[in-house]
Amino acid sequence: MSTLPGGLTLAIPSKGRLEELTRKAFSTARMNIARPGGARSYVGSIKNQPQVTVRFYPAAEIARELILGGVDIGVTGSDLIHEASENGEENVLFVRGLGFGEANVVVAIPDSWIDVQQMTDLADVASDFRSRHGRWLRVATKYVNLTRRHFAKYGIAEYRIVESAGATESAPAAGSADLIVDITSTGSTLAANQLRVLEDGLIMKSEANLIVSRTADWTPLRKAQLEALLSIMGGVPPGISTLL
Amino acid sequence: MKTASERYAALVRLVESRTVTRATPALLLPAGPYFDLAGEEFGRNLLLTTTNNGVEYCLRPDFTLPIAQQYLEEGLTGAPSAYTYLGPIFRQYQSTPVEFEQAGLELLGQADADNALDQVLTFARWALAIYDITAPNVRLGGVGLFEAFLEAAEIPVAWRSRIRHRFGHPEALERLMERLSNPEERAEAPAPDSRDTVIEIVTDAMLSGGLSLIGSRTPEEIADRYLEKQALESAPIPPETVALLQNYLSVAESTETAFERISEMCKQAGFDFDEPLYQVRNHAAALAALSPNADVIFDASFSPRLDYYTGIVFEMTGSDGEVLASGGEYDRMLERLGAGEPVKASGCALWVDRLEREAEQ
Repeated sequence: MSTLPGGLTLAIPSKGRLEELTRKAFSTARMNIARPGGARSYVGSIKNQPQVTVRFYPAAEIARELILGGVDIGVTGSDLIHEASENGEENVLFVRGLGFGEANVVVAIPDSWIDVQQMTDLADVASDFRSRHGRWLRVATKYVNLTRRHFAKYGIAEYRIVESAGATESAPAAGSADLIVDITSTGSTLAANQLRVLEDGLIMKSEANLIVSRTADWTPLRKAQLEALLSIMGGVPPGISTLL
Repeated sequence: MKTASERYAALVRLVESRTVTRATPALLLPAGPYFDLAGEEFGRNLLLTTTNNGVEYCLRPDFTLPIAQQYLEEGLTGAPSAYTYLGPIFRQYQSTPVEFEQAGLELLGQADADNALDQVLTFARWALAIYDITAPNVRLGGVGLFEAFLEAAEIPVAWRSRIRHRFGHPEALERLMERLSNPEERAEAPAPDSRDTVIEIVTDAMLSGGLSLIGSRTPEEIADRYLEKQALESAPIPPETVALLQNYLSVAESTETAFERISEMCKQAGFDFDEPLYQVRNHAAALAALSPNADVIFDASFSPRLDYYTGIVFEMTGSDGEVLASGGEYDRMLERLGAGEPVKASGCALWVDRLEREAEQ
């Protein structure tokens, strides 16, 4: 996207706690992010860093833009990079975790399934579910790619994903799915819905990350600007740009 | 020296030969049946498109399913039919869309299944010959043979279905084998719970979790599997049987040696397995007669991941290891699509672009 010889695009989550904590992380490094026009505006800037254009996007969109090279640097959850595309992680560089937005993507089943402790049990259940119930075992999730990869790893093919936009944890009780793959930070929502995480049901640990796109067009000048920005951020060894 | 278009014309002639019907299913197909038949793992490779009311369609990802569906819809179930096809299919791998040219043969409802499989092998052989491939690497596998082996080795039924289900998935099967070779040490035998007690406990847990007792897994189903698991853990498969199973699965060598080895290991374990081996032996011999230069191996652990395969399966690969042709017997597919019972079916698919690349080398 960057046709100018220099200049960097930085993508920041556009709302909620993730936006707040991201801006705090940058201001700790003495880079205050200005968002003139407030929550309705989608472009901002950093004081004293005129070469950086800040764009505000929903977190999932930041992951997609980083993978496609539409933005150069971004802050988003590592889970979203893995979910956005099957080869998402090859197209970005995780610079460092930011210490917030921690959550686990997990496989959770109704607590009453006392015969199921591990993914292997789930494989057994899936294998004859269809002959017993005349339909596939259903998994509610918004993490379609992560679920497919994790289930494939355990040799589970006999299931269907029910895409869920929100309140995934209520799907088993609502009867729209048999189990779920969802994100959890404290586990209290799962417990309140009497769902239990499988012993080996942790698909990934996620946190907000500072991420650089590998697919953006990295000219020598822009690489130098990236190094400068990362050194101000701190906590990053110099030379990241040589990996691009 | 033939040109690419001459080779393609020869392939068209093979596909349109007089004894078969060339099928031309639509390019745009409902996606539901593919998910129903092959599940989420195959579904991830479909190129999907959605109508305004949310119904999913996909670009034709293979020919077998629409051909089999048409066969059922026309009320031909059980009637011998022979279909061929040639045309583009569409899939996505690693989020990149790919268009392939695929050709193939489907023999449905044939009275003589062995003869049908030999015809399929012959068809694949002829197609390869068009592309000057006379010495492919052929890998044979036996799905039915493995099922027969599990039975003959007297592996408990509950374990048998767990093992069978993981067949064709090396990682999952290996994990299960590890579990079988190192059964969990139990400090004490668990107090056997009565089935009624377990059902009651599960029912209570389901109701307090707000779950319907009939919509998903039922309390009885959960309780039975719970008790079955307890029983299996207290009665593991004997180590010598696990060793035999591992030995069987490790067989992957040229056919005659492979069959000898299997026959021998079964004899040493105290049972005769020559009868089940007889059929796969015959097909291997037919294949050897068809292409004397081919390198044919029998790989005991080879199986496609789809659970509707039933008998013998095969794969022919070229010089760089890419699959040129694959197929086998899949009697459970038509049943899965609603035929009510298994219907004899065998067929193969050919990857035309790869055949052409092979010819150009």
